[in-house]
Amino acid sequence: MLTSNRRELMIGAAALFGSSLAAPLARAATAAQAGTPAGFTTSRALFTDEQRALVAALSEAIIPTTDTPGAIAAGVPGFMEMMLADWYEPTDRNEFMAGLGVVEGYARVRYGRPFAGLNPAAQDAILTLAMEKAIPGLSSRFFEHCRQMVILGYYSSEIGCKQERIYLPVPGRYDGAYPYAEVRRVFSS
Amino acid sequence: MATYDFDAIVIGSGVSGGWAAKELCEKGMKVLMLERGRMVEHQTDYVTEGLGPWELPYRGTLPPAQVERDYRLAKWGGAANTAQTHFYSNDRLNPFDYEGSKPYRWVRPNQVGGKSLIWGRVSLRWSKIDFEANARDGHGSPWPISYDEIAPWYSYVEKYAGIAGSKEGLPQLPDGEFQPPHPLNVAELWAKERLEKAMPGRKLISTRTANMTEDKPEQGRTRCQSRSQCARGCSFGAYFSTQAVTLPAARATNNLTLLSDQVVTNLEYDPATKRVTGVRAIDTNTMQAKVYRSRIVFLCASTNASVQILLNSRLSGSTRSFADSSGTLGRYMMDHAFRTYTWGSVPQGELDPYIAYGRRPNGVYIPRFRNINGQDPDADFVRGYGLQGAASRNIAAPVGFGKAMKEGLRSYGPWTLRFTTFAECLPYRDNSLTLHPTKVDRFGVPLGVFDVTFRSNEMKLLRDSAIEGQKMLRAAGLVNVGSSSEEHVPGDAIHEMGGACMGNDPTASVVNRWSQAHDAPNLFITDGSQMASTSCVNPSMTFMALTARAADYAVKQVKANAI
Repeated sequence: MLTSNRRELMIGAAALFGSSLAAPLARAATAAQAGTPAGFTTSRALFTDEQRALVAALSEAIIPTTDTPGAIAAGVPGFMEMMLADWYEPTDRNEFMAGLGVVEGYARVRYGRPFAGLNPAAQDAILTLAMEKAIPGLSSRFFEHCRQMVILGYYSSEIGCKQERIYLPVPGRYDGAYPYAEVRRVFSS
Repeated sequence: MATYDFDAIVIGSGVSGGWAAKELCEKGMKVLMLERGRMVEHQTDYVTEGLGPWELPYRGTLPPAQVERDYRLAKWGGAANTAQTHFYSNDRLNPFDYEGSKPYRWVRPNQVGGKSLIWGRVSLRWSKIDFEANARDGHGSPWPISYDEIAPWYSYVEKYAGIAGSKEGLPQLPDGEFQPPHPLNVAELWAKERLEKAMPGRKLISTRTANMTEDKPEQGRTRCQSRSQCARGCSFGAYFSTQAVTLPAARATNNLTLLSDQVVTNLEYDPATKRVTGVRAIDTNTMQAKVYRSRIVFLCASTNASVQILLNSRLSGSTRSFADSSGTLGRYMMDHAFRTYTWGSVPQGELDPYIAYGRRPNGVYIPRFRNINGQDPDADFVRGYGLQGAASRNIAAPVGFGKAMKEGLRSYGPWTLRFTTFAECLPYRDNSLTLHPTKVDRFGVPLGVFDVTFRSNEMKLLRDSAIEGQKMLRAAGLVNVGSSSEEHVPGDAIHEMGGACMGNDPTASVVNRWSQAHDAPNLFITDGSQMASTSCVNPSMTFMALTARAADYAVKQVKANAI
């Protein structure tokens, strides 16, 4: 319901304020429709196929599909590859890539299968150990690092902004005593 | 008889330059406006406006390596945000220097509109106390103007710009011509009621801001839509910027010629007639220099840039600037002392059911309360500070991972009120901007060298603000109250002022009471460089008022053939 209100508000605003506002409002209105692409290009492939499958499984375990889409649907694995390839400093990138290797190695030794091939219970067990800093050889920062990247990628994605959160590109007003019970969600901008 | 290309040249297109161009054009002068940055047209050139986070490069944060390479200073003004990086100057291409271990942060814009596109929009008047401060405690040169003289000019610019605020009747923060204030949220109202009861004299008010709460259809501007994307440019024209407000007015007269990509290197001067005779600019695309001539010149390039241009306008055969007969040009460089924080949370309970809908463009303000009626007996410092902040609820911190974490991230943490101190900085003669003896930039202009430090009075103000800030938040009933400070680096508040200070005495100041250079009556310096002190309140409204006033005076002088 809020979604259609927002769209009406933007369309109404464009009509009210004249065609000069069309460009920015059109951008916001377009964004209010689903299905635009991830919004970035990655300069180079960083992951092997195995690493790509691992990162996809890790991200979905951290933000799974529930009543809203999960990390894979939101394009988080591709976001993480882009950030690691194009944004990260080499030291941090190397530490993270090494951590991926340790997690994958642990899955293969403990369960005899790649992490991506494990059932959710086994994946959760490994992630819990990573969170508790109990996997030998794994950087104590790996879990937090991975979780932060998944959270950033998910909640800045179109799905994260519009389906998990409530996207308000043009609120039109400020209400500093809005009842949380009306939405039980977070607004995104 | 001299021939001129224009009646007036305005150097710079920011808050001050925009007002100068508007006023001069509307009074019938043919005006050339020169801007060092690139062209940005209202609406059409706000390229990131309306984009969602998923559409911004790197989801909104520039890679650290690129920030350090190109925006190591501009990052302090927000340049690392990829929604607004294009509005900042590249620091690598526009270097300056500083003395030894005295760092300085110069955050520069890179476009027509200058910092008016990226400013914080806090719109406050200086008070009688501020204009009398130098004379009262003996720091810097006394202001030659009074609040009462400037008050009508504040009214003039406020009415046109569109300022939202509440009338409070405070002598230290005079009321103005306000649109209705932006509302306080439930936590700010809660804290206000308790603070003002517990500590009489302390006030918590809606920050007066240049984001409108009412439309101005006659200017084609619409009130704030609570997007909080101001720094991307606002197609609604909801906040004061050159693009939305002063440039359209100047253009409407058909008296304006605007040239972007023009770096002014120096002013030409004739010592015989004591006049500025030309403005030399280099086109950043062709690298060709050209001298433009006009009857009067308004220098509004921003505090540091204006001082640099003046310092580089040297008398023939001398390293001395024509504008420095007082020996004070480039002295008394100031900025608000900044980066002390105070915070506290509303106890869990009655306010938990509420969140904010929309994103307000301003916050709340605790106006100065120190040394208002003379010197406070318990204050070991002069002057004062104000606290700027807001109450908000952060999204709850992630716990664990998986479905439960995702569910948890749909909720909020406690309402928390956070403040930043802005403290007055005294004018010190030896806080200086000079020109490097050998190093020049890509336009051949000697690098600016900053030797600016905060001293004991600024540190005491900041320390007192942390103590008083916590006292107030506790008195208001907030919990988990705390405070912290980061390194205080001049320039960081982006409230640079001074260097070509105003005063009656031509041997102790650079401009007179009309912002007119003592050494060149056809030169007006109306940006922050003319400020003889900093007050503790944000300076932009005062730049606007003094610029409009100087333009009015200048045109009268021209018409009287006095200049």
